[in-house]
Amino acid sequence: MRRSASLAVPFLAALLLAPASLVAQDAVPGKAEYDRWCAGCHGVDGKGDGPGATTMMPRPRDFTTGRYQIRSTPSGALPTDEDLTRVILDGMPGTAMPGWRDHFGEAEVRDLVAYLKSFSPFFESQPAPEAMEMPSAPGADEAALAEGREFYQKIECNKCHGEAGRGDGPSAPTLEDDDDLPIRAADLTENWFFNGGGSVEEIHERLVTGLNGTPMPSFQDLIAAEFMTEEQLWRVAQYVRSLAPEEPPVVREVVRAGRVEGDLPASVDDAGWDLAERYYVPLVGQVIVRPRWFSPTVDGVWVQALHNGSELALRLVWHDPSESPDPQWDEWQSKVLALMAPADSPADASPDTAAAGASEQGPLSGSQADTTAVAAASPGASYPDALAVQFPRSIPDGMERPYFLMGDDRDPVYLWRWESGQQASELLARGLARYEPLGGSQPGALVAEAVFDQGEWRLMLRRTLDAGGIEDRLGFEPGRAIPMALFAWDGSNGETGAQGAIGSWYFLYLDQPTASSVYVTPALATLLTAALGVVLVRRAQRRARNDA
Amino acid sequence: MKPLRHPFWQAVAILVIAYLLIAYGIPHLPQLVGMESAPVPGSVVLQYMVTVLVGVLIWVSDSDERWNRFLEPVRATMVDGDKRWLRLGLLIALPLLVGLLAFRQVRQTVAAPPSLRSIHPAPPSSITFRGRPLNLAGLDNPLRADGSVAEDYEEGKRVYYQNCLPCHGDGLDGRGHFAHGFTPAPLPFNDSGTIPQLTESFVFWRIAKGGPGLPKEGAPWNSAMPVWEDILTEEEIWAVIVFLYEQTGATPRTWAEAGEGGE
Repeated sequence: MRRSASLAVPFLAALLLAPASLVAQDAVPGKAEYDRWCAGCHGVDGKGDGPGATTMMPRPRDFTTGRYQIRSTPSGALPTDEDLTRVILDGMPGTAMPGWRDHFGEAEVRDLVAYLKSFSPFFESQPAPEAMEMPSAPGADEAALAEGREFYQKIECNKCHGEAGRGDGPSAPTLEDDDDLPIRAADLTENWFFNGGGSVEEIHERLVTGLNGTPMPSFQDLIAAEFMTEEQLWRVAQYVRSLAPEEPPVVREVVRAGRVEGDLPASVDDAGWDLAERYYVPLVGQVIVRPRWFSPTVDGVWVQALHNGSELALRLVWHDPSESPDPQWDEWQSKVLALMAPADSPADASPDTAAAGASEQGPLSGSQADTTAVAAASPGASYPDALAVQFPRSIPDGMERPYFLMGDDRDPVYLWRWESGQQASELLARGLARYEPLGGSQPGALVAEAVFDQGEWRLMLRRTLDAGGIEDRLGFEPGRAIPMALFAWDGSNGETGAQGAIGSWYFLYLDQPTASSVYVTPALATLLTAALGVVLVRRAQRRARNDA
Repeated sequence: MKPLRHPFWQAVAILVIAYLLIAYGIPHLPQLVGMESAPVPGSVVLQYMVTVLVGVLIWVSDSDERWNRFLEPVRATMVDGDKRWLRLGLLIALPLLVGLLAFRQVRQTVAAPPSLRSIHPAPPSSITFRGRPLNLAGLDNPLRADGSVAEDYEEGKRVYYQNCLPCHGDGLDGRGHFAHGFTPAPLPFNDSGTIPQLTESFVFWRIAKGGPGLPKEGAPWNSAMPVWEDILTEEEIWAVIVFLYEQTGATPRTWAEAGEGGE
């Protein structure tokens, strides 16, 4: 239905002359802002079914149910206006809901809150919810954390969140929300992704009020039943907070491989790693080429690197609740695939890949259309966990380097790929779908050692610095910035091929041996300055004596 | 004793105030006009301080009387018997400070090589879209031809929320929930330096060809922008362009503004 300019004028005139009722309808406070900024995910009718919803896990809130996770009110109750305001302003970390603090003014948020409430009949029919009175926080010490740990077990937090809090408890694969959709147990070691905020007070509020619509219960009834005291629930909150670092990790562009004399750490959990600096590399979904992946499990990898002048070792640590393939997670996998696969169905657009021919336009092969040949995961199959480290084939002199999405025809990447239950391999990759082996089992080939421990993979990869004369195999040179990128897959989440977690180029820098000038120059500068000072003082004193 | 009447202490005060202004005052200036700020680099601070120091020395040596008064406390520290501990302390502390500064200069530091990326590189005059030639120069958004964009806005919104949102964000501010994983960061469309500076045909080119279609000066190997012609139809791309401008309240650059032949 195309409108013409000639129709637009009378339409505008009609609007200006419209009866008061029509204007009033248009002027429902909050509706205009809601339709413009919120409906894309939450839907025009507030059902959580906007066009963006299918790309999200968890799905956007359905406002018609009146079920809200982040509240200051008792379990099952409606949220207060302040609760809704807080979520609009601060967002829901770890989900697609952003904070709108920079975007909406106070009055706009007030109108939005009123408008959100109008989607559900419950706000009309039930008495106004009231915030619960929270007992104030007791001070925390070692003993308090031990007591928190004790109650963490007693009230069965570990059942879902796991012994180490990494969201890997025995019940984790079975969790569903009230809409029967799969939902993850939070990784308690990453408090910056907690939906309701990561402070002790916020964690405590979640424990008291529960998260409506999710398997996370309120523990207030255990206090009422005198199973535990208010203080002991605070202890649990303090313990949970202690599982995460003080501050969220800072991302740094250069990963430094320190130089050690003699042998590199012999194993992945060798004490030799304790002193090596840790770097955090964030990963996100592969949303660039089909089949895309909007709900990756792995959200970041901790990297440590050491070398000794002849060998390089990387230690990579990431969280993944399942040691894939794991039959306990089979059902989870099929539920996730059922939920997320339609997000990328190519029904509406079927590019003629043969004709795409973008390659003549840019320096890269452009269209990665050949990756559409990669099959998406199928619900019945099982896949391993995997991790890939990308490098260029040789250290670039300028800023040019291969395409970060596993290279392309013109400039492939040199790849280290590890899969759970297998040895790591060295490959040449020309895009997400096309690998070929590089080198073989020659001395100095890539060696891997992996440990899965309570929702955490720890992987050590080791190789000689020297390329061994094999074409396209990177030689590592100390003192140079070497591009490096990391990708990760969680097999039990249905991740394989193009569908996984990806990250940008970073740099790996192998420290050079410390030059003696680093020590000599400052010492010399100190001595010379001191000598000059003494001479000046002597001269001044002599002159003063002569004057006297 | 009024220290602030004395040229030596006046000189010290000027240097201290200058340092505070340069290192802590200047970074607040951009914020006054609502711009983002960054700390002043150490080399710039050093340069400014040397300039101030030279100015101060010229001033104190301007007259013999002031110069002599300026030197009084310096001489006293070097000569006077009751200042021997201060003298000793300075003779130890100053050389150590110089040694520390020297160490900070020569120790091994590591920085990523600079990436000299052109954010809006010159577009080609024509491209192929799914194999079909398309002339970019002078090209306008065909969806605007019928005078109304209300429907196209809705279609563009659907396309945006199903495809662009994870990186460019609900607020079109380049802060989607996947944005933190990518370098360079996704473009914020609500920034006056982005789409308001561009013609719609330029935006079409960037969307259709994505990161890999950038010329070398645009660092195509780093960009996470997909090649959308593999995923979206021509109509969908024009619709999402309508959405970008309508949602941010920006107007596209016209060909008259852009001049003959492009950006």
